[in-house]
Amino acid sequence: MNTAILQQAQLTWPRGLGRRVLPGCLTLVAMVLILIVCGMIQPRIWSQNGLTLIMSPIVALAIASMAQMVMMSIGDIDLGIGFFVGMVTTIVATLLRDTPVLGVLALAGAVLAYALLGALVQLRAVPSLIATLGASFVWLGLGLFVLPVPGGMAPDWLFAYAFWKPPLSIPAPLVTMVAATALTWFVTRRTGLGVRFRSLGSNPVALTRSGSSLVVTRMLAYAMVGVLGVLAGITLTAEIGGGDVNAVPGYTLTTVAAVILGGGMFTGGRAVAWGTLAGAITLGLLTVLLTLLSLSSNLQPAVQGFIVIAVLAGRLVVERMSR
Amino acid sequence: MIKLERRAIPPWTWSFLAAIIVLVLTYIVSGRGGSQTITLAFTIAPYLVLVGLGQMLVMSAGPGNIDVSVAKVFSLGGLIAIAVGDVTGSWVLGLAAAVAAGFAMASISVIAILLVRIPPIVATLATSLIASAISLTLAKGFQGSPDPMLKGFLSWAPFGIPAFAVVVLIFTVLVSLFLKRTIWGAQMLAVGQARRAAEYAGVNASKVMVFVYLTSGVLAALAGALRASFSAPNVELGNDYLLDSIAVVVIGGTLMTGGRAVPAGVWGGALFFILLDGLLNLIGWSYAGQNVLKGFLVLAVLFLASGAPILGRGASSSKPDHTIADDHTEPEIKPLS
Repeated sequence: MNTAILQQAQLTWPRGLGRRVLPGCLTLVAMVLILIVCGMIQPRIWSQNGLTLIMSPIVALAIASMAQMVMMSIGDIDLGIGFFVGMVTTIVATLLRDTPVLGVLALAGAVLAYALLGALVQLRAVPSLIATLGASFVWLGLGLFVLPVPGGMAPDWLFAYAFWKPPLSIPAPLVTMVAATALTWFVTRRTGLGVRFRSLGSNPVALTRSGSSLVVTRMLAYAMVGVLGVLAGITLTAEIGGGDVNAVPGYTLTTVAAVILGGGMFTGGRAVAWGTLAGAITLGLLTVLLTLLSLSSNLQPAVQGFIVIAVLAGRLVVERMSR
Repeated sequence: MIKLERRAIPPWTWSFLAAIIVLVLTYIVSGRGGSQTITLAFTIAPYLVLVGLGQMLVMSAGPGNIDVSVAKVFSLGGLIAIAVGDVTGSWVLGLAAAVAAGFAMASISVIAILLVRIPPIVATLATSLIASAISLTLAKGFQGSPDPMLKGFLSWAPFGIPAFAVVVLIFTVLVSLFLKRTIWGAQMLAVGQARRAAEYAGVNASKVMVFVYLTSGVLAALAGALRASFSAPNVELGNDYLLDSIAVVVIGGTLMTGGRAVPAGVWGGALFFILLDGLLNLIGWSYAGQNVLKGFLVLAVLFLASGAPILGRGASSSKPDHTIADDHTEPEIKPLS
């Protein structure tokens, strides 16, 4: 009997694999469909330049979504990421260009601030939702201190990156996105630290029993969110060429949607880097599609909203059927 | 235990205390007393209070419940109220249209939350995207101006007491009575404290969810309609109201994890925020400085007022699902190494 069970175990997929991977796959299908439709309307996007053009606005969103994914894998939500990324662009476009040492210190300080926020959430049992919301006021204010009006200039090396053309006619934005995703995937799924992040989200008791400190784990997770947020801000500066704290306040909620589309959960414990990448690209491509369909840009938010609801409804149906 | 709690200071005290401190500081800085500052604060505060009351009901319906669509619904309410009021020539119809719009928007959230089982934050986010699309479409070539009579009433302050503030104050008292004295209110808080226990006791939790989200949507749209009538409609009119509404609710003493609603605290929080803005303007702080200070204040309030005691262990849970888990934030026995 034991061997029978063993054989069965060997034959079946790991438990929960379907639930973990399926949503991301659905989103991937949606992404490919949108890409194909875009290509049918405007065949010129099938070139290095075309793909670079439509994908470069998505890079920062994808990396910010990675940050949100790490946050959600420990069971928290970051409602301040939009202004944080905006604040980073102001630092990059001023301090980092004029006095690189100060700029790097400021960015390191931002990451440290995130780690402290994590400590606050853990030690004082504060909901992350409200703590990050409070922090978002601080990010906005600091960003306005650095650059009261949009301006500044991206450092030269960032301009060089913006005009970089990788060989084999691979679009540069794709390289950046895949690299950031691979890094996040590696940390969250292939290191001991990633296991600690995920168990903080799903089973904190087990984490303490295994001898880890909840505070340190949460601080490290928040620091990683900060690092990814800084990376998102740097790529966004390359994209817009300057700094603006109000550049992307919408990221806060779009990134949550991207993680959900990618198969993440609010309850934590699930890290889905590649799914999140698919989710972020899908949401970004929607804007391209609507532009190609020459729909009024005013309608774009509504279509995004409906797609998010539709995808989640579709997933519910699929999950019900697969049971 | 219950007796002890009753003797304790009511949770809304701190927000009013903070508001009074800011008021006194304002008097010291400006070098003159007078009721003008208070009148101004009470003229602007009611809009934030209306949105805050809706947000308070949603947040006290349990962990994870939050309405992030209030800002866009607020703007939409303003635009629709002015547009309809301008076409029909009646501000009553304008307000009714805004209420209907808020109801419709909140219905989308409710359907998404209850039928599609989307987490509230994503559901209301989707609603907010839809509302903002409608607002943007409406605002294109928007014409229309607020009704002079309604505008007159909103800025009417006999003896320095804004009449509209009194109306909202009465409404706040009604909400408070509703929560304390009616079965509906008790059921709502019961769901917020322990949804499953409440359901076993025969409370229909879905009904409560429908109620709180619809109320929040309607209040946000109504507040937006009135705010637009007070100044002018604008797509970005409501943008500040999302963060502010959540912040004033929390500062006011409402539990972020649900189960305790403090309507009076919403007033305290709103007055505190508005007086603080005034004070910072007075001493010449920029918008940037105001935001940094506001942020640190929210974080400070969280630090002081959260469930966990500052000294000692046994942090109370931020997520009741993990109550047991969080009790072990500091293990009593260090594992052998």
